[in-house]
Amino acid sequence: MRKLLQKTLFGLLAHIGRAAEGALRHAGEMTRLVWRVVVVTLTGKVALRDVMTQMMSVGVGSIPLVAVTAVLSGVVTSQQGGYQFTSSIPLYVLGSVVTSSVVLELGPVMTSFVLIGRVGARITAELGTMKVSEQIDALYSLGLDPVPVLAAPRIIAGTIAMPLLVGLADFIGVFAGLVAARFAVGLGPESFLFGARMFWHSWDLLYSIAKGLVFGFVIPLISVHMGFQTLGGAEGVGRATTSAVVFMIITVLVLDATFPPLFLN
Amino acid sequence: MIEYSDVHKAFDVPVLTGINLTVDTRETLSIVGPSGTGKSVLLKTTNGLLVPDRGDVRIDGVSVYDSERDALSEIRRKVGYVFQYAALFDSMNVFENVCTGLRDGEARRARTPEILRKVCEALEDVNLAPSLVMHKLPSELSGGMRKRVGLARAIVGRPEILLYDEPVTGLDPVNTATISRLIMEIRERSHVTSIVVTHDIEQALEISDRVALLTHGKLRFVGPPASFRASSDPVVRAFADREAAAEAALELVEGGQSEEETEEES
Repeated sequence: MRKLLQKTLFGLLAHIGRAAEGALRHAGEMTRLVWRVVVVTLTGKVALRDVMTQMMSVGVGSIPLVAVTAVLSGVVTSQQGGYQFTSSIPLYVLGSVVTSSVVLELGPVMTSFVLIGRVGARITAELGTMKVSEQIDALYSLGLDPVPVLAAPRIIAGTIAMPLLVGLADFIGVFAGLVAARFAVGLGPESFLFGARMFWHSWDLLYSIAKGLVFGFVIPLISVHMGFQTLGGAEGVGRATTSAVVFMIITVLVLDATFPPLFLN
Repeated sequence: MIEYSDVHKAFDVPVLTGINLTVDTRETLSIVGPSGTGKSVLLKTTNGLLVPDRGDVRIDGVSVYDSERDALSEIRRKVGYVFQYAALFDSMNVFENVCTGLRDGEARRARTPEILRKVCEALEDVNLAPSLVMHKLPSELSGGMRKRVGLARAIVGRPEILLYDEPVTGLDPVNTATISRLIMEIRERSHVTSIVVTHDIEQALEISDRVALLTHGKLRFVGPPASFRASSDPVVRAFADREAAAEAALELVEGGQSEEETEEES
C-alpha cells in the first residue's frame, strides 16, 4: 500500500515536472522568437511585400467572417438584454448594455476566436507542413533565415490587422444591436443611442483596440511557434494544430481576464 | 575540405558515436549503411542543420558551429543541399524555387535577364526544359522532376560543396540512372566536393571516389569502391551481400511476375 502510494506520488511529481519543463521550454522558445522578430523588423530584413501579402490574408480575408460574428453578437446581446429589461429597468439602458458588451468584450474576444480558427490554425498547419517536409531546413540550407521570411510577416500582419478588425467588429456589432433592439423590443435608434451615450467612456474604444493589439500579436506568435515546433508526419501536423488552437484560446481568455483589473479600475 | 572530428549526436538513443572523417576537396564520398544508422543525421551536421552534442565539423578550416549567424549563412551558401524529397517550396513555382538558391539575395525572384539565364542554365544542367517547367508548381511535377528541380536549386548558386540526402530514394530505375549520371556530370563540370547519402550500394560504388559504411553510429569502413568490393570485413561483406541478396530476390519476383504476365498474354 505504501509502495503504491509512493509510486503514485512520484508519478504525479514526475508528470508535474515534465509539464513545467514543457511550459518553460515553450516560454523560452517564444521569447527567443519575439526577440528575433523584433531584431529582424528593426534592421529592415522583413520584406514589405511579404507583410502586405499576409495583411491581405489575415485582415481583408477575415472581414466577412468577422462581420457575421459581430452582427450575431450584437443581435443576441440586444435580444437577451431586451428580454431581461422589459419589466423594471428603462429600456434605453439597453443601448449602454449592448455597446459596452460589444466594445469591451464581445468585439475583441469573438474576433480573436475568428482569427484563431481562420488564421492561427492555418499558420500552424502551413508552417508545420513546411517543417515536416524539410522546407524549413531547405531555407536554412540556402542561407535564409525563416524568421524574417515566414515568422515576422505573419506576426506583424496580425498585430496590425487585428485592432482594425476589432474596430470594425465593434462598429458592426453595435449597429446590429441597434437594429435588433428596434425589432425585438421596439426601442428606437434615438433612445438606443441616448442610452449608449449615457454610460459611454472614450477610453472604452481604446481599451477594445488595445485588446485587439495584444490578441493580434499573441495569436500569430503562438501559431508560428507551434508550426516551427512540429515533429513527425501528417499526424504531427494535426497534433501541433490542435495544440496550437487550444493554446491560443486559453491564452486569449487568460489575457482577456487580466485586462479589467489592469485597465478598468 | 570537410572535416568531422569526434562527432556525437543522440536523440534519446545515441545515433552518432564519435565520427572522424575527412572529405577532400573535389572528392565524391558516398555514405552507405542500413536505415536508422545516422547517415542523414551526419549529413545534416555538415551545414549546421543539426548541431552535434559533441565534436566539430569544419569546412575549409572554419568551424560550422563556432560561426556567428551571418557567417553560418555564408558557409551554407557555399554548400548546396539536395533533400530526400526535394523540399521544394509549395507556394512557389519552379522559377522561384530555383531562384532561392542564388547567392545574391537581393535579386532573388526578380526576373532580370541575368537571373533568368542562371535559372535556365541550372534547369538545363539537370535535363529539364525551362520553358516547360518554369511556371509549374511543385505539385504539378513528377517525383523525378521534383528531385531534379531540387538539384537545380542546389547548383544554381555554384556551390563548392554538394550534399545529397538519398537522391534516388523512391525513384524508378530510369530516374535513378539519370540522377546518378547528373551527379557525375556536375562533379566533372563544376569540380564540387560531394557527399552522397544513399541506400543504393550500386549507385554509391558507381559514382564515388570513396565509400563510407556507417553502422551503429560508427564508421565501419572508409575506402575506394574497389576496396569495398574486395573487403574481407564480415560486416562490409554482410552489407554488400544483403544488397546482392535483395537484388536477387527482386529479380526473382520480377522474373516470376513477367512469366505470369507472359502466360496470361498467351
